Amino acid sequence: MSDDAEPQRRSRSGVGVEPNSRTDGGSVETTVEAWTPSRPALSTRLGRPLVLGIVTLVVLVLSVPVVVTFVSSFAETATGILPRGFVTFEHWRDVLGLGDDQMAVIPGLAFSLAIATGGMILNVVIGVPIAYALTRYEFYARDWLNTLAIVPLVPGVVLGLAFVQTYPNHGRSALGLIAGYCLLKSPYMVLTVQSSFQSMDLVRLEESARSLGASWPRTFLTVVVPHAKRGILAGCIITWTLAAAEFNFTFMVVSGSPDPFAVFLYRNTSNATYMQQAAAVSVYFLLVVSAIAVLQLIGNRGFTTIRDQ
Amino acid sequence: MSEVTLESLTKRYGDELAVDGIDLTIRDGEILGIVGPSGCGKTTTLRTIAGFETPTRGRVRFDGVDVTHVPPEERHVGLVFQSYALFDTMTVRENVAFGLKMRDVPQRERRERASALLEMLDIAALADRRPTTLSGGQQQRVGLARALAIEPHVLLLDEPMTGLDAALKARLRTEIRDLLADLGVTAIYVTHDQEEAMAMCDRIAVLNAGTVEQVGTPSAIYRRPANAFVANFIGNSTLLTGVAEDGRVDLGFAELEVAAATNGTVTVAVRPEAFEFEREGSIDAEVTSATYLGDRTQLTATLPDDTTVALHADAAETYRTGETVSLSIDDTSVHVLE
Amino acid sequence: MSVRESTAASVRRVAVFAATTARPTTERERERRRIAIMCLPFFALATVAGFVPLAMLVRMSVAADVIWIEGWSLDAWRTLLTEPTYRRVAWNTVWFVGLATVVSVVLGVAVAHVLEKYDLPFERVVVAAVSFPIALPGIIVAILVIAMLGRQGLVTNAIAAVTGTSAIDLASATAITGLFLGYVYSLVPRATMVLRGTYAEVNTQAEEAARSLGASRWETFYRVTLPEIRPGIAAATILTFRSGLAIFGTVLLLQSHYVITLQIQREISVGTYRPDVAAAIGLVYVVFIVAFTFVGLRFVRTDTVTL
Repeated sequence: MSDDAEPQRRSRSGVGVEPNSRTDGGSVETTVEAWTPSRPALSTRLGRPLVLGIVTLVVLVLSVPVVVTFVSSFAETATGILPRGFVTFEHWRDVLGLGDDQMAVIPGLAFSLAIATGGMILNVVIGVPIAYALTRYEFYARDWLNTLAIVPLVPGVVLGLAFVQTYPNHGRSALGLIAGYCLLKSPYMVLTVQSSFQSMDLVRLEESARSLGASWPRTFLTVVVPHAKRGILAGCIITWTLAAAEFNFTFMVVSGSPDPFAVFLYRNTSNATYMQQAAAVSVYFLLVVSAIAVLQLIGNRGFTTIRDQ
Repeated sequence: MSEVTLESLTKRYGDELAVDGIDLTIRDGEILGIVGPSGCGKTTTLRTIAGFETPTRGRVRFDGVDVTHVPPEERHVGLVFQSYALFDTMTVRENVAFGLKMRDVPQRERRERASALLEMLDIAALADRRPTTLSGGQQQRVGLARALAIEPHVLLLDEPMTGLDAALKARLRTEIRDLLADLGVTAIYVTHDQEEAMAMCDRIAVLNAGTVEQVGTPSAIYRRPANAFVANFIGNSTLLTGVAEDGRVDLGFAELEVAAATNGTVTVAVRPEAFEFEREGSIDAEVTSATYLGDRTQLTATLPDDTTVALHADAAETYRTGETVSLSIDDTSVHVLE
Repeated sequence: MSVRESTAASVRRVAVFAATTARPTTERERERRRIAIMCLPFFALATVAGFVPLAMLVRMSVAADVIWIEGWSLDAWRTLLTEPTYRRVAWNTVWFVGLATVVSVVLGVAVAHVLEKYDLPFERVVVAAVSFPIALPGIIVAILVIAMLGRQGLVTNAIAAVTGTSAIDLASATAITGLFLGYVYSLVPRATMVLRGTYAEVNTQAEEAARSLGASRWETFYRVTLPEIRPGIAAATILTFRSGLAIFGTVLLLQSHYVITLQIQREISVGTYRPDVAAAIGLVYVVFIVAFTFVGLRFVRTDTVTL
């Protein structure tokens, strides 16, 4: 508490009571000291600048490395404090496969994106129905199933380890990667679609469609799913982007060429120059930025499953 | 308790003018109602008095002292919200004692004063429950007790009864009114329900588009609306155009014995109850619809000059669409707008 | 009723249940069939890609021959229990991830608070900056840490230029502080995201009521806002801790602290190839995460746990 004038303020018989004229000729007693500005509370004076300072620092720590890396990818050299020798596209040419072949990320990235697309499609087929069942119906063990579907309980490293041992032949193939990515990223799809379903009155929607003569499968495909299309789209973007740079599971599973994108980055940390690496990473940055832009366009709060109200 | 004065209060959000130069005095110990359509600036005015908005221009005074820039926690303003806004993480008693705790009132006294208030509002039995377990009416009583606990200079009630059902509303209405009168609390009561404002308030301010249209007692506002907006917003009025001359207004199809300030074309506001049904009335009107409401029948009818009027008719009679009724106007309950 | 009769009755009930689900006649039975159909694809995937591999992990951890997965042996578990290395790895993991979690959640509260309560001029930029790193895999986070704190890093060289110390002495990317920053870098956005969801549901009118009752900003936060967001903080802590445990790419590249994921990788590396021990560690890890999550969920609403 900040104010020492408190006691006087509560009772009006305190000191400093004096008449105060009113426009209507009446007179009213008032405690004049009551609102002589007291020192603002410590938390009002220091709290806001302090919290803002911390948040500014957090935002800088989170964004500066990304910006510097992106900028460095156009520099000739990075010895010294700041990268120098702008603007060169040499590293981007290397990375895009037009120069030094060793650093060409395109084959790996294309492979990763193809796998990610497979995982994404599989996720729509698997995630949308279960998200619907979990939101629409009450049933035995629903809460358990819900937890299983939206909580990533098995980490990528462990899943990868188990995968190669279980499926020594197919685990390392594209098919194995697709199944793994799908399972690892399914919570994102289920969550976004669920939040889409939660924002509409599923029961009324379904009942009115069925009373109008639509069979249940038809209701689901032509009424329910189109209503959730923003959620499905958001889920697709998130699962796709995350799978494109998945490392933990991929690293444990993969052997052979082409190296998926993230594994490629890892293998080249020692033999690529910093600027080449910056350019390679920047390719992925661009991918994420476009994903965030599309997500914000369809009403998501950036790269999250949470939607703006 | 205090007198609250608003001096040319103006609040602008970007290009939007939410409150446009309001001058208003809420007298010590009175309940002032603020009514108006949604978006008229009611809530902004309230939040400015509470200190959550700083006006773009103008001042707020409590007992003559300028509090425009005093932060909310130092204003001693009681707030009662439509959504109750109770602290769900505390018990009912802790909710009520919260303001006292902030003032470093010793725990024993806090407990006693909270208990006294809970007793007064008839919710002593709920003291140790959580707000989420209470009904809407009970929650609103807690909200009121919490706001009264700090003995506020002024109590601000923002649509406190909107969420409640009709019977409860009617009971709580008289109860709160009597309680506030007993305590001599200065209160501002914002509502969109004009009937509630009439029942609760000593005076009513009608707001429209950020400005005050009229301030007055409920009967003054009802019987002598200042302009067409008030006449239409408070109760149902038919606005008729006529020519005023020497204490008479000629409507074309009838003549009224009412004094107008000026001669010439004037607008006359006529309440439904001012129309009297007579066997040999001077006005013939054609019934366009009749709705039976139990205690009366609500009619709409077309006057000779094609104006549509609302009428209150005896519920015992039956009326048919297309039928012609004979009316006269009670001169004493019409009002010439200025 | 004898045991056999009651068993027969149970079997009959299950059979009827299955039959009516397959050939429903009432709307309720039809609904049950729909639920089954809708959950089936997920179950199929979870079985093939999740349950079966996990079962394999169990089998592997107790196999005598780790190449052909034959025979039975508890050697792997014995190693895990007796060798002090593994206790050290467990302790390393818990304190390191725990500390990173606490720091990230506290910072997350600050960010969520500012985004919800303050009128920021560049709110969208802040939101983008805070949510961007969620998409970055650990390997890229490690590359960013090296770019900032490595021997040629921007921050290292800036400090070296100011203080006159050698950049090589200052480089902290491969020190534990660099790794810690990498963890916080990955975890702050996740904590913030959960907390933003919670903050959006905070009753602002209750906060205003508190202010009008005489509470200062800090008191309002401490007594009204904080109790309200407590479930969100718990959810954020669970999520952040779990995410922190799973970080692998960052620590694989920076190598400065032996945590559980790195240990699993070491167990199956050439030279120290012990897949049975790796499997046992993985199982302990999964069991710990599942237990931790479910114990945590008892105190938190399920739907606040996102990502």
